[in-house]
Amino acid sequence: MTGKRNTGATGRKVQADRFVEATPAPLTLSEIQDRLQRAILNGDDAVLDNILDNSRTTRQTLFGVYRNAYVGRLVDILQSDYQLTCDYCGADYFREQARAYVGAHPSHTQNARWYGVRFPEFLKASDGHAAHPELAEIALIEKTVADAFDAPDAPVLGFEGLAGYAPEQWGQLCFAPHPSVTRLDLATNAFALWKALKDDDETLPEVSKLDVPEHIVIWRHDTAPMVRVMGAEETMMWTEACRGVRFDGLCEMVATFDDPDTAAVRAAGYLQGWLTSHMLTTVTLAGSSKKKRAAKDVERKAPSHGRKKTVPQSGIA
Amino acid sequence: MSLTKVDQSASALRPAEHLHSARPPYLGFGLGLRPQHYTDILEGNPAVDWFEVISENYMVPGGQPLRMLDKIRDRYPIVMHGVSLSIASTSPFDETYLAGLKSLAERTEPKFVSDHLCWTGVHGVNLHDLLPIPYTREALDHVVSRVQYVQDYLQRPIALENVSTYVQFGHSEMTEWDFIAEMTKRTGCWLVFDVNNVFVSAFNHEYDPHTFINGIPADRVVQFHLAGHEHNMTHIIDTHDALVPEGVWDLYRAAVKRFGPVSTIIERDDHIPPLAELVSELNMARGIAQEMLPELAVKAAS
Repeated sequence: MTGKRNTGATGRKVQADRFVEATPAPLTLSEIQDRLQRAILNGDDAVLDNILDNSRTTRQTLFGVYRNAYVGRLVDILQSDYQLTCDYCGADYFREQARAYVGAHPSHTQNARWYGVRFPEFLKASDGHAAHPELAEIALIEKTVADAFDAPDAPVLGFEGLAGYAPEQWGQLCFAPHPSVTRLDLATNAFALWKALKDDDETLPEVSKLDVPEHIVIWRHDTAPMVRVMGAEETMMWTEACRGVRFDGLCEMVATFDDPDTAAVRAAGYLQGWLTSHMLTTVTLAGSSKKKRAAKDVERKAPSHGRKKTVPQSGIA
Repeated sequence: MSLTKVDQSASALRPAEHLHSARPPYLGFGLGLRPQHYTDILEGNPAVDWFEVISENYMVPGGQPLRMLDKIRDRYPIVMHGVSLSIASTSPFDETYLAGLKSLAERTEPKFVSDHLCWTGVHGVNLHDLLPIPYTREALDHVVSRVQYVQDYLQRPIALENVSTYVQFGHSEMTEWDFIAEMTKRTGCWLVFDVNNVFVSAFNHEYDPHTFINGIPADRVVQFHLAGHEHNMTHIIDTHDALVPEGVWDLYRAAVKRFGPVSTIIERDDHIPPLAELVSELNMARGIAQEMLPELAVKAAS
């Protein structure tokens, strides 16, 4: 049973008339919402029985506004979140992949900011990944930069945070990473490609698969996301530091990695870099539960957690 | 099926203590806050009286968005406007979302908090659209109970905005404006009157937008939205991405005449122009309001 078409010549029928022309048995609000959502997600036309034409066009056309908007809006969100990935592979291919993602992943988030978080994984699992493994990694870098951009605020540990410790206590110090820091291990030269895209270089580097992974670290310095390559030794020390290994243990590990005579100097150098880059948040004396923080809190309050989001402007450290 | 009067008996009313708070203040002429304008706002001194922020843009863990919001709220009155409350959904509220909204409101201390009279999805899905409802007594009871829940949760009255719609349901029992009038009467909620949305829906559903204006309780409207749209001849699509067209300005005149001085913004969601262009468009709104309400012109000059 379908609704009666409103063919009023004037196009300005009295509102009450239209309700008299109503359609089939009334549905509950819940039933209407089920039907309407199915119509948008699955193309089920049952809801058309419950809506009206206007005098100028059909209910199919009118309802089509919602149908067309759904995929288009989510694809736009992905394109906004993954601008460099789109630049790399071209809008046609990107939007094809984005439409496939939308089809496979209805949104379950109240905030469009998080809709595309699984897009890099999706690209990695796609048919095109074998031929272009760098694409998913470029997307992963973009996602991680965005995550650093609005990651939780936390105090930043600087040199002054270590001032209260005597030299003999330094070996017992344990460091905690700032919540904005993420380390990625890349199997391609995606970082060089991402950087060239970000810098709007005229030519991109040749794509290459790497024999050993390239480690990069992404974090937020003040309000700006930062990205840099992290060497193998520093990556090892960073990973162990994040696990809570105390500084003397870190120095021993560094000593086994390369020249033991300069291990303490190298470890101190890495630590200095982390402190000056705002990559750490707290220091704890092993065996003590007391944490030392930087003097200033970055934010006065830590909140709990659109249509439009800010595109992070990231830096290369 | 004929038009049915909704229940207007006193027993249908449900007063609550926190709803006796005063009407939100008149804020003047503002803009929707967009990240593209942060620098111009903070480094310049634009002729903007206040800003409306999209709540979800700041419901993030930390970083620059919240830092910018703090800076701007230090200088300007702020109103929070959400897009994902889904007040008319028949699925349970997302409690995490509500907690985030409350947390942001406590941090930001907005002049008021608003969202839309619509639903955005059911069964845990968010379609990221402002979807229409049938105007039935059942839907009204449902929305009223949800508004009351949210207001109790947030401990403040909320404001709800009429959305642009493209379809009408055959089994609606009342007009949109009767629905809205009864909703605000039974919940004490305020109304955001989107002039463009009324223009769009009136065209799409072939009613006189002035009837809509006259059907809304004048004392409940606390904000006007002004925006543009895309005209497809057989129907209009609300895009909020263009200049306010003449027909919407005309309707704004009628709205100002009926509702009096109401806080007003230009709401541009896409194709965001330079701030100066929006300020210029905002000045048109200011001029029309002063033309319709001479007391505003006197106040502005003093």
